[in-house]
Amino acid sequence: MNEQQATALEAQIAKIESIWTAPPILVPLIEMMRLPLDDICLEKVVEMVSHDAGIAAQCLRFANSPLFGRRSVETVRAAVLALGIGRIRSLLFGVCMHRTIPKAKWVLDPSAFWRHSLGCALVTQRMAHGVGYPDLEKAYLAGLIHDIGFLVNSVLYTLKLQECLKHSATNGCPLHVSEQEILGFTHADSGRLLCRRWGLSEELVEVAGCHHQVESLSTADPLVCLVHLGDLLCRVRNLGYGYNEVLAVALAEDTAWKHLVPAYPALAEVDLVRFTLDIDGSMDQIAALVDSVFAPSQQAVAKGI
Amino acid sequence: MSIETTRDKTHAAPVASPADPVHMKIRDLIYKISGIYHSEQKLYLLISSCNRRMTACGVATSSQYFDYLTTNAKRDSELRLLLNEITIGETYMFRHPPQLDALRNVILPQIMQGKSALGLKRLRFWSAGCSTGEEPYTLAMFLTEEKQLDGWTFDILASDLNTNSLEAARTGIYGDYALRNVSDAMRRKYFRDAGNNKLQANDLLKSRIRFDRVNLSDDSKMLFLKGIDVIFCCNVLIYFDLASKRRVVQHFYSNLVAGGYFFLGHAESLFHVNDAFQLIHLSGTTAYMKPPIGSAAGRKP
Repeated sequence: MNEQQATALEAQIAKIESIWTAPPILVPLIEMMRLPLDDICLEKVVEMVSHDAGIAAQCLRFANSPLFGRRSVETVRAAVLALGIGRIRSLLFGVCMHRTIPKAKWVLDPSAFWRHSLGCALVTQRMAHGVGYPDLEKAYLAGLIHDIGFLVNSVLYTLKLQECLKHSATNGCPLHVSEQEILGFTHADSGRLLCRRWGLSEELVEVAGCHHQVESLSTADPLVCLVHLGDLLCRVRNLGYGYNEVLAVALAEDTAWKHLVPAYPALAEVDLVRFTLDIDGSMDQIAALVDSVFAPSQQAVAKGI
Repeated sequence: MSIETTRDKTHAAPVASPADPVHMKIRDLIYKISGIYHSEQKLYLLISSCNRRMTACGVATSSQYFDYLTTNAKRDSELRLLLNEITIGETYMFRHPPQLDALRNVILPQIMQGKSALGLKRLRFWSAGCSTGEEPYTLAMFLTEEKQLDGWTFDILASDLNTNSLEAARTGIYGDYALRNVSDAMRRKYFRDAGNNKLQANDLLKSRIRFDRVNLSDDSKMLFLKGIDVIFCCNVLIYFDLASKRRVVQHFYSNLVAGGYFFLGHAESLFHVNDAFQLIHLSGTTAYMKPPIGSAAGRKP
């Protein structure tokens, strides 16, 4: 992306709030995402989640998923206590962003997008746990928001992104490659600008902006590396963007892996086959959770789940 | 690992409480040694395998059986027998489509490109531990149908240690279960009626495969096999101890051409067994690659 394109994209992103339909809590939520977890008041989170009955119901479905431990949570307060402020903040962010994008603007299948994002959040967090990365909630959030730029491109460049998706589906190539070819920039560029505009931490800005470019960075932030690997793993385990991407990935030869190993030597002790099988074991749960939260079946709605 | 055998049908109903802590302990033990994980929905399969082994050993309770598996002098052989129960079900053709997709989209184009540059137009495949032949017949059908192989020749070696299995593979008679994923068009093209609702591989299909008895622990025979492009050795090495596994895998490494691929069963791993192979993640499957000559990893001693 050249300087002129960057300025134009930034100007478009400045107007995005007038195009999308964010729920009222998005702005205070973004403010909350800038804060360290210790500075966030539990009551404030409960109030925010409870503000909209639909959002509260979606958060409860998350909280009751076996992915986060089998619980029987019936109130928002119990959900916040059970999952912790960090996780609730992340899932509230997902729910809000889903509502923010007008239906007609979704280029990627919303279910595929959230399966990929949630899958990447979980895989990144598990890998972070496996290697001893200190902040697992940050790892989860980073995985969840890494592709936020797709939502920007969906809203601002709907038709062109459709063209990119078609091009990738026909050629089996990664979506960011088609974006670069057709749009001249990628969702990573838009994601970086949006996260920066929101004032999110520089680490999260880097995650959104560099998760496809780890090989070109001289020193890569471990969080970017973890998300890069999580994203690849999701894409090779059928948690991509709803088309068949032709991929052959040697993770242990990947630059991100090589960046991580000196600081996190436990990575070399991860049996990737086992790790991948463990992820596979969660696939059905991820799909079921996404479908229940973002596309609830009539049965679930009737039951008030 | 999703385990699907004819037993899925014959033991369709869960037979015990999934919360039985002893079954969980056996489940964890099996996972630890083989990587095969029984989810709660599949736990009944593990329980029925255990029940069959308990009858054979004359053990009355699952708790006693767990002790048998962990502390008895015969625990090693019993573990192997239990794993046999778990994994050696009747298999079927075209069982793992992501493997064939990976061959079609990534592996064949890569290997063919390398060979074309040398003026070679021949590919060699080996199904090591082919059991009753479903895997090599699948491979033969798949490769025969691949348009990108027009103008190329290929041969498939199908080997097993067990002469009975090998004989069944050579005969090539299969029922509905083994043929469940074989299309009508392929059935007509590659099989003939064998009576009793069974089909037999025809001469065209059989001519693509060379069946041979190979003991993977027989060093002299293993050293003799060279120039293989892709090896399949699924759920065979889980019964080998670490030292034998290392030796066999080192042989496979030597058997392969540089840039060749090695498929294990999808719960199997070479972690701490061999670090010369590169683990490659492909859509929905994994494989190991012998690094091509000239690559950084290929220069490793």
